[in-house]
Amino acid sequence: MGTGVQDSGQAGGGKQGESLMEVVKVALAGSPNTGKSTVFNALTGSHQRIGNWPGVTVEKMEGSYEWEGVTYQVVDLPGTYDFCAHTLDEKIARDYLLKEKPDVVVVVLNSCNLETNLYLLILVLEMGLRVVVALNMFDKACEQGLKIDYKRLGSILKVIFVPTVATRLIGIEELKKSISLALNQPLPLPPVNYGEKVEGLLREVEESVKHFPLPYPTRQVALRLAENDEEMKEWLKQHDSSGRVKMLLESLKEIVQDPEKFFWEKRYGFSHGLVMECTSLESNRQARVDFTNRLDRILTHPWAGLVVFMFLLALVFEIVFQWSSPFQVFLAGVFNLMAHSVRFLLKSVGAPDWLISFFTDGFFNGVGSVVSFLPNIFLLFLFFAALEDSGYMARVAFITDPVMHRLGLHGRSAISMVLGFGCNVPAILSTRTLESTRDRYLTILINPFMSCSARLPVYLLFCGVFFPRYQGAIVVSLYLIGVIMAVLTARIFAWLCFKEESTPLIMELPPYNVPVLRNMLNSAWYRTFLFLRKAGTVILISMLVVWLLGWLPPGSEYASRHSFLGRFGAFLAPVLKPAGFGFWEAAVALTCGLVAKEAVIGVLGTLYGGAASLNQVLGTVFTPVSAYSFLLMTLLYLPCLATIAAIKQEAGAKWAAVSIIWSLLVGWSAATIFYQLASLM
Amino acid sequence: MQEKKSNQQLLSLAEVPAGRYYIVALEPGFICGRLRRLGVKVGDTVQVIKPGPGPIIFLKGNMRIGIGWGLACRILVKPVEENRENL
Repeated sequence: MGTGVQDSGQAGGGKQGESLMEVVKVALAGSPNTGKSTVFNALTGSHQRIGNWPGVTVEKMEGSYEWEGVTYQVVDLPGTYDFCAHTLDEKIARDYLLKEKPDVVVVVLNSCNLETNLYLLILVLEMGLRVVVALNMFDKACEQGLKIDYKRLGSILKVIFVPTVATRLIGIEELKKSISLALNQPLPLPPVNYGEKVEGLLREVEESVKHFPLPYPTRQVALRLAENDEEMKEWLKQHDSSGRVKMLLESLKEIVQDPEKFFWEKRYGFSHGLVMECTSLESNRQARVDFTNRLDRILTHPWAGLVVFMFLLALVFEIVFQWSSPFQVFLAGVFNLMAHSVRFLLKSVGAPDWLISFFTDGFFNGVGSVVSFLPNIFLLFLFFAALEDSGYMARVAFITDPVMHRLGLHGRSAISMVLGFGCNVPAILSTRTLESTRDRYLTILINPFMSCSARLPVYLLFCGVFFPRYQGAIVVSLYLIGVIMAVLTARIFAWLCFKEESTPLIMELPPYNVPVLRNMLNSAWYRTFLFLRKAGTVILISMLVVWLLGWLPPGSEYASRHSFLGRFGAFLAPVLKPAGFGFWEAAVALTCGLVAKEAVIGVLGTLYGGAASLNQVLGTVFTPVSAYSFLLMTLLYLPCLATIAAIKQEAGAKWAAVSIIWSLLVGWSAATIFYQLASLM
Repeated sequence: MQEKKSNQQLLSLAEVPAGRYYIVALEPGFICGRLRRLGVKVGDTVQVIKPGPGPIIFLKGNMRIGIGWGLACRILVKPVEENRENL
C-alpha cells in the first residue's frame, strides 16, 4: 500500500488524464478531535484556525497544493460523527460529498480512537467515493502502546492508509503521494453487507426511486430512506405518489424492527471487527490519559471549575492589557509623528489645506487611532487560540452547562459567548454545532452583547482619560454588564419565542494538550490580519466619508457644527441627550460604529484632531459619568455590519432585524438609566 | 426509572461514584441516538472520571465523553465486579 513512487502524470487512467488539465478536488472529512484542521494546514500551508473543541471548522475552508505538476484543491469539511443531517455541519458535509463529488476524500482518523472514527470512514466508502485515510496522531497511539496494522486495514477495505502526525508534518508527503495514487484506483465497493433480505429490499428501493429527480446517488437515497432520514422522508412524500417505496420501507421495518439501530449496529460491528483484527495493545501506557483525568478532576469540578474559568478569563484580559499597552502607546506615537511629518512636508510644498487635512485628519488620525490597538487584538486572539488548542474550551461548555441550562441556554452556547469576546462573527458561525434551532437562535441573538475585541479600544481610550486608576475594574464591569444583558436577553426571548427546553449536553472532550505555538501564532495572525484588512478597507472608507462630510458644504470650517457631518450629528444628538452625551460628535461617532466598533474612536480621532490630542479634548467634553454612559452605549447599542450580516446568514433577516432593534433599545435604555441615576447621586 | 435500582444493583450514571461500569440500559430516543454517534451502546464498559453532581465525564476506550446530569439519569449502569467494594 502506498509504496513505489509513480509519476502520476504517466498513469493511464482516464480520471488522471482529465485531472491533468483541470484541478483535482480533494475533500477532508473526519470526526471532531481527529486533527483534521491540522492535516488541512499541513497539506495546504494555509493559515487556518485549529481547535480542540468539536466543530471549529465552521466556515468552508479551502486551500490548494501542487503535486507533480497537478493542482489539488482541498476543501476542509466540518468535523462530524455522522452524515444524518442532525446538525447544520452534518448537512453541509454530506451535501458536499454527495453533490460536489470530490475526486478523492481524505478521511482523517484519530489513531487513538479508531472504533468510533472508522464508522465515518465506512459511511464515506458507502457513498462510493475514492478514499485515502490519514491515520492521524499515530505517535500518540504508539505512546499508548497501541499497535495498528494499517497495511492490513488498507487491504481489507481496499483503501490506502497513511500514518500521519500532522502537528509535526510527519506523513504529509506520503499522504499527497497516496492521494495522487488513489485517483487511478477503481471506485470502492460498499464495505458492509447488510444481509440478503435487506440488500434485496435496498435494491428494490433503488429500482423504484431511480426515475425520481434524485438528490443523491440511488444507493445513498435507498440507504438514507431506510435509515429514516427526516430530510429524505420529506423528499419521498413529494415523489412517491404510488406509495410503493413507502411499502418497501414498511417491509424493511418488519424484518429489522428498528432500521436506524440495525444499520448502525451493522456498521459499528464491522468497525469493531476491524479494530479487533488489525490492532493490538502491546502494553498499557496510559500516562496521558491519567494526566487528563487528574486535570479534569480540578478543571471540571462543579464550583472549582467555574472559579478556575473566571480566573483564567481575568488572567487573559489582565495580560492582554498589561503586555500590549507599551506597544499601543508606541504605535499611537508613530502615527502621530507620521501625521505631523506629512503635515509639515505638505505645507512646505504648498499643498492646499484640504489635501493636508485629508492625510492628517482623515487618514493618519482616523485609521491610526484604530490600528494602534493592533497589539491588544493580537494578544487576545493568541490566548484564545491557546485555550482552544489545549482542549480547555470544550471544558468551558461542560462546566458552564448547569448554569447555562438554567438560563435556558446550552453548554456550547458558552463557547460561542467566550469566542464573542474575540469577535462576534466567528462566534455566531460557531453556533452551527448546536443541534436545536432554539439553542442556535438564542445563542446567536445574545452574542452581540458579548464585548468583542473591537470595543476594547474604545474602553481603553476612555478609561485612560477618565478612570486611569480604576481601568481594570471599569473594563471588567463593562464585560460583565455585556454578559448580564446577554443572559437577560436569552431569558426574555426564551420566554417570548421559544417555549421548549434547551437540548441536553453531550459532547466529546479532547485530551489536554500543550498548545503548539505555530498553531497559536497562525490563528492569532489570521484574526489580526482580518482586523488590519478591516482597518484598511471599511474603516478607512468610513473615516474618509466622515472626513468628506466634515469638509462639506464648501466654505464651512472643517468638522464644525455647520458641516454636513455636524448637521447630521446635531439631528441625532437630542435622542442621546438623556444618556448624557447629547452632542453631535458623539452621535456621528456612534453612527460610524455601525461599520465597525473601532470606528467610534477613529471618528473621534478625526473630529478631535488625532490620537495624541484626543485625550485632552475628551476630558473637556465628557464627564466621568457621561463617559461611562457612552461606554455602556458602545457596548450594547448595535452589532457591527459584519455581525448583522452573520446573523442574517445564520438565522435570517427577521432575527437580524430583531437583533438591531433590541440592541438599540437595550443600549439606549442602559445608558440613559445609568446616566440619570448617577446624576441624581 | 429510579425504582429499578437497588436490589438488582442497577443505578443511573448520575448517581454513581467514579469507577468502571457496564451500560445496562439506555432510554430510547434522544440519548440513545446521540450516544450511538459517539459509539456508545448497551453492554459497553465505561469508566466514570468525574461523577455527579453536575455534568458527568466518562471514558469509553480512549474517548472522553461529557454528558449533562439530566441525561446521565437516563443511563442505567451496573458496576464492574472489580470495584464493587468501592460502592
